[in-house]
Parts: sequence; C-alpha cells; structure tokens
Amino acid sequence: MRAVIRAYDALLYTMAFIAAVTLVWLMVSVVVSVLMRNLGMQPFAWLFTSAEYGILYMTMLGAPWLVREKGHVHIELVTAALPSALRRIVSRAVALACVAVSLILAWYGLDLFLTNIERNDFDVRAYYYPRWLLTITFPIAFSVMAIEFARFVFGPELMHSGEAGIHE
Amino acid sequence: MEWYEALGLLVGSIMFLMALGMPVALAFLAANILGAWVFMGGERGISQLLNNGWGSLTIFALVPIPLFLLMGEIFFQTGLGGRMFSAIDKLLGRLPGRLSYVTVLGGTGFSTLSGSSMGSTALLGSLMVPEMKRRGYKSHMSIGPILGTGGLAIIIPPSALAVLLATLAKIDVGALLIAGVIPGLILAAFYIATIYIQTRLDPDAAPPYDVTPMSAGEKLGILMRDVVPMIGLMVAIVIMMINGIVTPSEAAAFGALGVLILAAIYRCLTWDAIKKSVRGALRVTLMAYLIVFGSATFSQLLAFSGASRGLINWATGFDLDPTMMLLVMFGVLLVLGMFMEQISIMLLTVPIFFPLAQTLGFDPIWFGLIMLLALEISFTTPPFGLLLFVMKGVAPAETTMREIYRAAMPFIFCSLMVVGLLILFPILATWLPGL
Amino acid sequence: EETITAVHAFPETLIYTQSFLSFVDKVNEAGEGVIQIEVRGGPEAIGMFQQPDAVRDGIVDMVYTPGSFYGGALPEKDALVASNLTAIETRENGGIDLIDQIHQERMGLKYLGWFDSGVCYNLWTRNEPSFDADGNLEVDGLRLRGNAVYNAFFTNYLEAQVIDLPTGEVYSALQNGVVDATGWTQIGLIDLKWNEFLNYRIEPCFFSTDLGVIVNLESWNGLSDEAKQILQDTAIQHEIDSVNALRGKRDEDFAALDAAGMQVVELEGEARANYLAAARETTWARMKELMEAEPQSVASYDDLIGKFYDPAADQ
Ligand code: NA
Ligand code: NA
Repeated sequence: MRAVIRAYDALLYTMAFIAAVTLVWLMVSVVVSVLMRNLGMQPFAWLFTSAEYGILYMTMLGAPWLVREKGHVHIELVTAALPSALRRIVSRAVALACVAVSLILAWYGLDLFLTNIERNDFDVRAYYYPRWLLTITFPIAFSVMAIEFARFVFGPELMHSGEAGIHE
Repeated sequence: MEWYEALGLLVGSIMFLMALGMPVALAFLAANILGAWVFMGGERGISQLLNNGWGSLTIFALVPIPLFLLMGEIFFQTGLGGRMFSAIDKLLGRLPGRLSYVTVLGGTGFSTLSGSSMGSTALLGSLMVPEMKRRGYKSHMSIGPILGTGGLAIIIPPSALAVLLATLAKIDVGALLIAGVIPGLILAAFYIATIYIQTRLDPDAAPPYDVTPMSAGEKLGILMRDVVPMIGLMVAIVIMMINGIVTPSEAAAFGALGVLILAAIYRCLTWDAIKKSVRGALRVTLMAYLIVFGSATFSQLLAFSGASRGLINWATGFDLDPTMMLLVMFGVLLVLGMFMEQISIMLLTVPIFFPLAQTLGFDPIWFGLIMLLALEISFTTPPFGLLLFVMKGVAPAETTMREIYRAAMPFIFCSLMVVGLLILFPILATWLPGL
Repeated sequence: EETITAVHAFPETLIYTQSFLSFVDKVNEAGEGVIQIEVRGGPEAIGMFQQPDAVRDGIVDMVYTPGSFYGGALPEKDALVASNLTAIETRENGGIDLIDQIHQERMGLKYLGWFDSGVCYNLWTRNEPSFDADGNLEVDGLRLRGNAVYNAFFTNYLEAQVIDLPTGEVYSALQNGVVDATGWTQIGLIDLKWNEFLNYRIEPCFFSTDLGVIVNLESWNGLSDEAKQILQDTAIQHEIDSVNALRGKRDEDFAALDAAGMQVVELEGEARANYLAAARETTWARMKELMEAEPQSVASYDDLIGKFYDPAADQ
C-alpha cells in the first residue's frame, strides 16, 4: 500500500513538474521565435504551436497538484458562518461534490479521447495534430483530481479552513 | 423553457455552489454539467463542454499572463523589487501611501504596454502586493489600486478588447482607441484622489515612515542604481513594441527574460529564487486557467439557452428616453458581466445595442467607450470577476475574498463616475478622435 | 411544424453571417407550417471551432461554417478552397453532390449548400510590391501574416516569412509593423479597418471561400420529405443568390478602396500562371497527402479535382 501511495505521489509531482517546465517553455518559445523573426529567419512554426498547446497541458497536468496545495480559489461564506461540527460536514460534502464533478469529467473525457481516436480527429493549425493527444489529458487530470478531492472527504485535513473566521 | 427560467437555473446553481464553498472552477464545471445536460441534450453536452475546454485553453492570447506573473515573481523573489521599493521610499520621503500612488502611475504606464487586464493585474499584483504587505500597507491599499489599474489596460490603447469591439460594431478602430486616452487619464486621476482620501480618513492604512535626510547626490545614486534599470526595462519593451519588434502578446516573455538578466547582473539570481518564482507563477496561472476552462462553457450556456438574449430583449424592450435607455443598456452589461466573459458579452450585445444606439442618436465612438467601461468594471464585479481571482491568487494567503471585493468597490465607483462624466460631457470621448 | 436549431461560426454583424441569416429567413418564409430554423446564435453560443463537433454530435441540427474549420476530419474541403468555380457550376456538374456524399459517409453530416462562393483571396501589402526579372513577386523582407489555410502556399511556394497571428491581433500588428502584408478575402478588409495600413492589392486573386451549411444526418433523415425539399430548394437558390450578392458587394468594396487610394498591382503572363498554379497545387498536395492517410476513400482525388477545377476558367 505504501508503495502505491509513493508511486501515486511521484505521479502527481511529476505532472506538476511538467506543468512548471511548460511555463518556462512559454517564455523560451516566444523569445526564440521573436529573435529568429528579427534576424530575418523563419521562426519554426512549432515554437508558436507548442506555446498554444502548452497552456492546456500546463493547466491540466498542474490542476491536481493545486488541489493538494488548496490553491483553487473558493469563497468561505457559509463554511465560515457555521459552527465547527457542521462546518466539517459541509466541507466534506463539498469535497465529495468535487469528487463527483471530477469523476464525471474524467469519464466523459475518456469517452471524448476514445472518440477522437476512433474518428481520427486532427486539430488543424500549422500542423495536423492528433486531437487525442490533447484530450488524453482530461481522463488523467480529472481522475487524479478526484483522488485529491477525495483526500478532503476522507482524510484528516479539511478543504475549508474556516480560520478566516468572521471575515470569511 | 422561458429565458428567465434558464437564467435562474444557470445563475442560481453557480451562486449556490460558490456560496457553499466549492472551488470557483469546480462550481463552474458543475453548473456546466447541469446546464449542458438540460440545454444541450444530455451526455453529448458534456463532450461539448470538454471540447470547449481545450479550445478555450489553446489560444496564444493566454500566453502573456503566466509570463507577466513570472516577471513579477522573479522581481519579488530575487529581492530586486525590495531594492526598488526601498529606493522609492527614500526618494518620495514622507508622502503617505506612496507605494499606492506608484502602483497607479506604474499601472497607467503599463496600460500603454498591455492590452489585457489580466496581464496587467497579474504583473502588478505579483510585483506589488507581497512587497506592500511586507511594508505594512493594509491590503485594500494595495489590492484596490491594482484592480483599478488592471481595468485601465483596456481603456488606454493598445487594447485588444477595444479593437474587437470596434470591429464587431463596424466603427473606427483608431478613433475608439484614441477616445479612451482622456477618460483613461481622468480615471487614473480619480484613483489617485481615492488613495489620497483613503490615507486621510485612515492614516494607519499606509505605514508610518521615518526618513533620513539625504543629499541630492545620494538620491541620484539610489535612483540610478535601483530604480532606473527596472524602469529602463519597461521602456525598452515599449520601444520594442512601437518599433514592431514584438507584438503586445509577446512583450511579456521579454519582460520575464529582462528581469532574469537584471537579477543576474545584480547577483541576486539564486536557484532557490527561480524555483520559488516558477512555483508562484504556476499556482496563480493554474487557478485562473481552470476557471477560464470552466467559464468558457458557462458563458456559452447562457447564450445557447437563450437566457442572455432574453434578458437583453426584455430590458431593451421598454420605451424610454435616450439617457434612461443608455442606463438600461449599461445595467444589462453589468449584469451579464457578473457571469459572462467579455468577448461573449460583446458578441451578444453589439448586434442589438449599436443599432439601438444609432436610433437613439448616440455617437458610436462615445457609446463604444461607455461599453468598454462597463466591460472593464465587469472584470472586477463579484461573484465572477476574473481579476478578483487573479488577485486572490497573488495576494498573501490570509487575504479573504471579502477583503478583495471590498477593496475593489471604491475603484469601481471611480469608473462609474467617469461614465457619469461622459454622459454629461460627451466631448471627453469625442474631442481627441475628432482632431 | 418541425423545427431545427442552427448556429453560425462568425459574429452576427459579419457579412457572411448576414447572408446565412437571409437564407434562414427565406426558409422560414417558405416553410411556414412545415419547417422552421431557430438560430441559437454565433460563436458566443458555441465556440467557432467546436461547432463542427456540435452538429456531428447533434447538439445543434445545423451549422454555417467554413469547411476549413473541420479540415482535420475532412481534408477534401481543400477541393473547395482551391476551386476556381462557384457553387452554381459545381451544383450543376455534380461536385456539390460528391462533397455531400463525402460528408455523409465520413462525418454523418448532410452538406446542404455551398454559400457565398465565388469570393477569392488577395495578398494585400503596405508597401509597393516588387518583382524579379521574370515578373515573379519578390517576398524578401515581406512580413506576411499567415494562418493554417494559406500557409502551404505562402511558405512552400512563396517562401515568405510568415507570421501566424489570430485575426483579432492583425490590426495592431499592422499598426506597429509586426506584419506588413496579409492574405484576406476580396470582401471585408474595410470592415476590419485594415485598409488604414494596407495600400496595395496584388492580383490575381487565389483560393475560394469554403463556407457551407452542414446538417446532422440523423436530424436530416428525421425530417419530412416536404421539409427536406424546402430546405434543399432554398439552399440551392441561395447558392445562386449569394454568389451574385457578394459579387455586388465586392465591386462596392473595391470601388470604396479605390476611392481611398488602394493601388492594384497585377502579376502578368507566366508569373501570373505560376502564382495561381502554386496556390492551387500546394493546396491539392496537402489534400492528397491527407486523403492517402485515410483508410477508406469516399471519392477519388482526381474526381474531386475534375469537378472543382476548370482549367478553361483560368484563361
Ligand atoms: Na492598454
Ligand atoms: Na464580473
């Protein structure tokens, strides 16, 4: 079991690391393509395209890590006003709803990914890029997100602090 | 389903989930699943939702925001920001709330570089908020001015939103861009007045100061060492844009690179600072872009279900005098702006509002500018104002959403006053383009 | 009375959308009591590039969009892009029926009509274009804005320095000189205000618009014969009407541009023929390559070319 958890954590952080590298790549790709252009060369089209696709990869691969970091912004209005016992219940219920949303999207994301393969769909920009290479991020990212939200349903930690107290 | 039922269902579900404390992005996705199921025919609607998701995230217009965030983070994490703000503190001496003024001036200057509110807020937020917090500014003194100046980016040229609006409405692009200059500057002046009033009413809002007197030579030294290189970087990027070396969307990458180089020159570029910077920029980007992912479909559901079109037709169906009609249209924009993204709002309202404005005898440039101001405000109106969330992301962890909402209010009021001025004195918008 | 829903790819104020909406009006008039089209909106209702999937999946019944927006699923759309004919001739020679058949088999869509055809693309430049000794266009130093549709031609044949930009960014890119030339349809430059910066139009024009109405096949098959008849007849009539209407609009636009000082520069003789051939053949080559990658070919490459390209029309 411990090995499974370790492998899972490694997956989560690897995904986040790829997201971070992608962010830096955005800078590099723009700088290189502008320099090439101004030196009178034709910038490689993949510099531009990789930045566009990079945003999707970055967002999806990094999203589960951000759940763990409690970085997805939420508004503590009800949860801050409730007494602590009730707050725990509401907080876990909200996390459970997030699990449900993530699972639904993971499932239909898988469906979309398979449809893209079956229909041999391409995204047409500078290149004909197989669309499944984009949509494959959905089943992966939303599954891992579901697991991360589930930690706030069953784990010791709560998603909502309520600590901001009366402010929020 | 009637339009108001559709509106009630969509808006009601998102409000309910957000109030309950569901992360904003997930609340959008949940409301979308429900809406797609009802209006787009069940399961197929959810595939559509996911298709929209990747479509809305693979566009080049989203590239600058993470890079502006990265630029601000590097600036802060390497200590370059600290140096510059210390220098400004020493140079400006006893002026209460001086960094708030610096924010407005810097933000107004930055508006001439950036055409995107999000980019502007991302940069200023990551640049100023942590530093101002550290110096003991109350959060509304840092957050408010930044939210306000974020909106300036789309009023003062260049402005991607203004170009799109002019194109959709078939009015003169150049004229609409130029028309924004004077109202933009008035707005900035109002912001400065707001800060002045705030520091007067609450002297503790900005930190007290003790200033050691310095000679002119010392001042010049500090200015050249700690302020000029950073400002010089900004100026260099503006020059690159004017000369067509980079497009406005590409400028951010050079900003980030420039700060990296500056930090290396000042020997404060550590591996640790780089890691922290990337991590910080990534956190805010991920948070904002998952909301972009979710909200892309929400706007569309409002349009596809007929909810927003119904609202527009209902509101503009009354027989009122021109000024009342203008206020109705302005109100519709604000209401839509609470839940929809700006481009969708323009696509929906332009075909209805501009012919209407014409029959009411409005100057199209003047009317276009008022529309832009409404869109600017909607970036910062709760519950869904993307700038508010970006701000939440860059602000220190203990900052609450309510603090951010409250900080935005006086600056939204400034925009409303500019709209009032434009109604009273249309010449503020029409004079410059008419020259 | 039956009702089908529709969305259009471009904003409502654009001329091509207006053309589609007038088609809708005609159907709703002719179809009173039988068939009505209910327009749900444009890109604000369903994203521009998601519309082809939406109609395929039955979220809407009808979409008005360029074929290039789903070129990844249907490379044969390039036959329309490289066509030198209009919907009028290709409806008669069976070309559109062939395209319809390909849509039905490959995507489960009914191709109802090719609207707004006969509009082609020009290169527009800020500075006076120069020519080499053989009369070919010189592209050295030209900063040309491109996109997926014309890059095969611009890069592979013209060997131009192409800068990919979304339409919304072109105005400011022209303004500060990031680009100084772009391709665009004969119509619409004025609406985009790009003529503030562009001073030369290079003739001949190349390519053709490929805007069409596609209908979900299940929805189509579910309609009564009478409804189908009304839709198809009205579409065929609108194919003809729109060609003529847009020709009128083009002449108006050209006259307005002329009056504002737009200069026209023509390629001549062999250079002209090579230029047109290159636009066509680079596009065909792309189509052929993608068709060969498809396991089941619905129509032959040669058949498509034969129906959509008439060498005599180039003379
Ligand atoms: Na601006
Ligand atoms: Na808002």
